[in-house]
Amino acid sequence: MNALEKPRELTLSILAEVAEVTPDDLEPHHRLREDLGLDSLTSLELLSRLGEALKMDLEFEQAMDIRTVDDACLFVERQCSVPQ
Amino acid sequence: MLRPAVIDDAGARDGAVSLLLPELRRYLARDVDGEAIDREGAIPEATRDGLARLGLFGLTIPESHGGAGLSLGAACEVVATLAEADRSIAIMVGLHAGLGTRGLVQHGTAELRDRWLPRLASGECVASFGATEASAGSDLTMLSTRVKPVAGGLRIDGEKSYVTNGGFAGLFTILASSPGLGGARAASLVCVPRDAEGVKIGREEDKLGIRGSSTVTVTFDGVVVPWSHLLGEPGKGIVLTHGLLAWGRTIMSAGCVGAARSALAMAMAHTHTRRQSRRPLSAFGATRAHLAWMSMRTRAMEAIVRDVSAAAEAGGPIAIPSAIAKVYCSDTAFAIADRALQLHGALGFLEPTGVARLLRDCRITRIFEGANDVLLVRIGAALLADPSALGRTGAEALDALALRLGAAVDAARRRWGVGAVNHQLALQRIARAHIALAVGAALLDGDDAGSSHAVSELVSEGNEALEALDRADTDDARAAAVLSVLAEA
Repeated sequence: MNALEKPRELTLSILAEVAEVTPDDLEPHHRLREDLGLDSLTSLELLSRLGEALKMDLEFEQAMDIRTVDDACLFVERQCSVPQ
Repeated sequence: MLRPAVIDDAGARDGAVSLLLPELRRYLARDVDGEAIDREGAIPEATRDGLARLGLFGLTIPESHGGAGLSLGAACEVVATLAEADRSIAIMVGLHAGLGTRGLVQHGTAELRDRWLPRLASGECVASFGATEASAGSDLTMLSTRVKPVAGGLRIDGEKSYVTNGGFAGLFTILASSPGLGGARAASLVCVPRDAEGVKIGREEDKLGIRGSSTVTVTFDGVVVPWSHLLGEPGKGIVLTHGLLAWGRTIMSAGCVGAARSALAMAMAHTHTRRQSRRPLSAFGATRAHLAWMSMRTRAMEAIVRDVSAAAEAGGPIAIPSAIAKVYCSDTAFAIADRALQLHGALGFLEPTGVARLLRDCRITRIFEGANDVLLVRIGAALLADPSALGRTGAEALDALALRLGAAVDAARRRWGVGAVNHQLALQRIARAHIALAVGAALLDGDDAGSSHAVSELVSEGNEALEALDRADTDDARAAAVLSVLAEA
C-alpha cells in the first residue's frame, strides 16, 4: 500500500496487525493502551512499523503524543503531507 | 534449623499477618512433608483442609465475602513463608490469591462475587486461571479459545495449557478471544465453574519441579455460562489480564523470596555443622563469601517485593515494577539455590537433603507468568519510552548509575529512534541495569542499615550491564554469524 496515497488506511492496517484486531474493529477514539492493550513494547513496534512504511526514522519525541487511533492516523497524514 | 538474620517477622506490616505467621510456621513444620508432596506429585487433601482452616484461601478476598481482605504486601509475607516450607503449596495458594481470584474480586458482577467468593475464601473451592495455550505461549493476543454470545449466555470452546490448580479447582478464570464482544478479535475474561457441562480436565503433567502443584490442560467443549460470568467490560480481557499479571508476578516473587530464605537457611545449617580440616565449613573465607552473597541477595529480593507491594497499596501502576521484581527474584532465587547446592557438595545432589528439590522447584519461576527473556525486553522498552522513570535516590553510587543509565537510554533513543524495538539484546541489557537500580533503590527505601554492601554489588551489576550494552550490536552480529555457520554445516 502506498503510504502517501492512503495514509489512514495504511495506519489502520498496521495498527490492526500489531493490536491483533481487524481494521474494521478500530474506532478513532480507541486508546492504544487502555482500549487496544498496547504496552510500551507493542507501541514501539507500531511506531517502528509506521516508520518503515513511511521510510522515515521516527524519533521518540515525535511519537509521544500518539494516544488514540485517530492520533496515529493524523500523525501519519501529517508526515505524508510534508514535502519529501 | 539456623535462622539467618534476614528471617524475621519485621516485614509483616499487617497485624493479622503477624499473628498468623507463627501459627502457620508451626503448622508447616508439624503437618507438611515437602519430600512426600514432591514424591507423590500431589498436595494431600488433608493439607489443603489444614491450610483452609488457617484461612489461607481467603487472604486477599474482601471481609464482606468471608476473606481477610489483606493487602498485597501481607499476602506476599504469607506466600514467602509457605515457600520456605514447600514451593508447591506456595504456588497453589499464591495462584489462588493472585490470578485465580483477583479478577473476580476486582471485576466480577455482584451476583458472581456473592455466589463464589465466600466458597473461595473458605477453601471449599480453589481458584485457577487459564490464559496460556499450546500454540500461543506468552503471546496473549494469539488466543484460539473462543467465547461468543449465544442464547442463554456465553459459549466457550477451546483448550488452555499449563493450568495451575486445574486438577482440583472449582472455578476457572479464563482469557478467551471474543468475536462479537468488543470487536471481531477482542478478548474477554470469563469465569467458568468446573462442573459446567463441557469442561474436561486433562491428566496431571509430569514436571521437573513444584511436582506437588497441579498442572493440567483444561478443555472447554461448548461450555455455556450466564452473562454474569463475564469479568469487566466485554473485549477488555487483555488489558484486565495485564493488571492481574502484575499482582500475580508480585506474589510469585514473594514465593521466590521464601525459596531463597530456605536455601540460605539450609546452607547456613550445613556449613556450620560440616567440618573440614577440623574447622566448620563456615569458617573458611570462600564459604563465608558464598553465604554473604546469598544473604545480601535475599535481603534485596525482600526489599523489591516490599517496594512493589507498597506501590500497589498506594494505588500506583505496578506493571513494570512487578516485572522487575519477578525477573530479579526468580533469577536470584535460582542462583541462591544453586549456591546452596554447591555448598552442600555431593550431598546437595542427593534428594534427601531437600536442596536438589529446592533447585528443581525454583527453575520454573524464570519461565511462567512471563518468561524472563520477554519481560527483560518489555522492561527495557518501557524505560526507553519513558526515561522519567529513572528517579534520584539520594545515594551517591545509585545516582551515578542512574545518570549513566539515563545517558545510555538517551543515546539509544537518539541512535535507533522507535526502531530500538528491533534491538532486543540492547533492550535486555538496559533492563538489567534498570533492575539493579530499582532493587538498589528499594533497599534504601527499606531503611535497611545492613544493605549498603548489597547496594554496592547491585551498582556493580548495573555497570556491568551497561558495559555489555556497549557491545550488544557486536554480540548480536557474532550470534548471527555463528548460527549462519551452523546452518551451512
